[in-house]
Amino acid sequence: MKKSIQYAVLGIVFLIVIAFAKIECTPLYFNIPKSWPKPHYNFKTNPLTEEGFQLGRQLFYDPILSKDSTISCSSCHMQATGFTHVDHDLSHGIEGKIGTRNSLTLQNLAWSKHFMWDGGINHLDIQAIAPITSEVEMNESLENVVVKLQNSKKYPLLFEKAFGTKKITGQFTLKALSQFVVSLTTTNAKYDKVMQIKASFSEMEKKGYSLFKKNCATCHQEPLFTSDSFENNGLPKDSFLNDLGRMKISQNPKDSLQFKVPTLRNIEFTFPYMHDGRFKTLSEVLKHYNSGIQQSKSLSKELSKPLHLSDNERTEIIAFLKTLTDKEFLFNPRFSYPKE
Amino acid sequence: MLSKLFLPFILLLSFWQAVAQNQSDSLALTLKIEWKGNPLALSKTYISSNNDTLQLHQLKFYVGNIQIDFNDKSNFQQKVYHLIDLENLNSMRIPICKNEKKNISQISFSIGVDSLQSVSGALAGDLDPAKGMYWAWQSGYINMKIEGTSSSCATRNNAFHFHIGGYLPPNNASRKIVLTPKSNSLEVIVDVATLFDNILLSENNSIMIPGKKAMEIANKCTKIFASK
Ligand code: HEC
Ligand code: HEC
Repeated sequence: MKKSIQYAVLGIVFLIVIAFAKIECTPLYFNIPKSWPKPHYNFKTNPLTEEGFQLGRQLFYDPILSKDSTISCSSCHMQATGFTHVDHDLSHGIEGKIGTRNSLTLQNLAWSKHFMWDGGINHLDIQAIAPITSEVEMNESLENVVVKLQNSKKYPLLFEKAFGTKKITGQFTLKALSQFVVSLTTTNAKYDKVMQIKASFSEMEKKGYSLFKKNCATCHQEPLFTSDSFENNGLPKDSFLNDLGRMKISQNPKDSLQFKVPTLRNIEFTFPYMHDGRFKTLSEVLKHYNSGIQQSKSLSKELSKPLHLSDNERTEIIAFLKTLTDKEFLFNPRFSYPKE
Repeated sequence: MLSKLFLPFILLLSFWQAVAQNQSDSLALTLKIEWKGNPLALSKTYISSNNDTLQLHQLKFYVGNIQIDFNDKSNFQQKVYHLIDLENLNSMRIPICKNEKKNISQISFSIGVDSLQSVSGALAGDLDPAKGMYWAWQSGYINMKIEGTSSSCATRNNAFHFHIGGYLPPNNASRKIVLTPKSNSLEVIVDVATLFDNILLSENNSIMIPGKKAMEIANKCTKIFASK
């Protein structure tokens, strides 16, 4: 009699242990390279786990997020090109509709405070609402995405693994996507290896690096190659798009034509360049900085005087920019299309 | 480990029971959404005092930071946000606290969420962005969503849209409502007619971003709440 009670208790304890083991997640450690600043993303409110990351990855590559199941995040953010939409000046989404801006790269966003070219989004976790609900991108509602995921075969289980419940919510969907996107760190370009004294620049790259530090680094600040602020780099306004950038959000005329300073990591592969994709090559970009700057009230003062870069100097800067290419990142199988 | 698992269950169970049993013994803030004294119905035709003929298709807003002051100087506060939705009857009754038969001197609450919520990423419950009360291209909650149609609107499908929100100064559109009930009641009357009596739909029919126009509507919305 007594024994059987003991067994029963043991059995219950065993079941509980199993239950706990099942919802236990595998925590992931977010690696911050030495001498880099602290990330801005608050991992405490969305602790990274292997299960959350893998769920986010599934969602990122799944067209279920769009109304007619044709467009996934990766349609506009492709790994091999630094997670941007290469070769399209303005990104296009559902039914081939064309948006109003060039797709941004998704790199080192853990260090970013604002998102989008105009910084209109203040937190990575809610960024995904924008593409999902945009009429020209995925044209879906988050509410309906949740319903579709809940009714799918695969997702309730994946959500349970990641968040301990099969009940899918908008919050969990967004946090999972965030876990994937925030994990896209590129920290191992030739530039980084040179900084760690594990490699060295060629003569040309070295010259390019000094020119870069003199002319570009106040905005494209190392090691992230962005100051995460808004600047007007002197692009003449496209009168068709009439995009005022930051001013649209702040409604302050002082911010007219200011855009988020984009990172230059993997810049070799993320063409076309600028918020409207107006430049196809890096030499066009350098030509703009050298002789194409449009004066205006909100022009950043660093660019108000001509840079006077010679042909050689421009080539040297480009050689340096190519040391920001991180092949390990562009071909990291952890970030690629998930094979079930 | 045993207690770790069971405690929440037991707590939940007893909480459930408490809620289920004491509905009549507990105080609840109840919102009565009306058009000039009659319950407001979606899609029904109303006429404002400006002679705008209109139908409402959606009415949703956040109520939060509820505080009830009692005559004995004690009070009750609740930090939670509730999404009031004309399509969801349950949302219009907000359980508050145990009824200790004290006299109520003041009711206050905010319409909309405060800035902290609008910078905190993806939240849960009534604040879950899947509720459709979060802006896409510019972060922040929509405090109040009023949509409908009116022949006065020269817009596509004669539609009007008021998405009132914004958390950044000087355009923070959240508003505090303070009411002093005469009859010791926690019933709040929301007379939507008062709002449309103050709007010319032919001129003002689409507000989808924070700013001055949203602030004006937010101010007008403070006038639609009354206690009994
Ligand atoms: C139709 C193309 C398209 C699709 C689909 C798309 N995006 Fe984007 N993405 C863009 C464009 C364009 C921008 C820049 C938008 C702007 O500045 O207004 C952008 C910007 C971003 C940013 C901001 C990056 C930064 O540096 O500020 C993130 C993060 C992002 N997208 C993630 C996603 C996720 C996650 C998905 C899937 C849910 C997704 N995108 C789907 C085109 C797309
Ligand atoms: C005053 C700040 C500032 C300075 C200085 C500056 N940039 Fe930029 N850069 C920006 C901004 C802002 C953008 C985005 C502009 C836009 O799209 O409207 C940008 C965009 C770029 C892009 C395109 C990136 C992309 O993903 O589309 C490249 C490449 C670039 N800059 C290189 C340079 C180089 C090289 C220098 C030095 C010669 C330089 N920048 C100096 C602010 C600056």
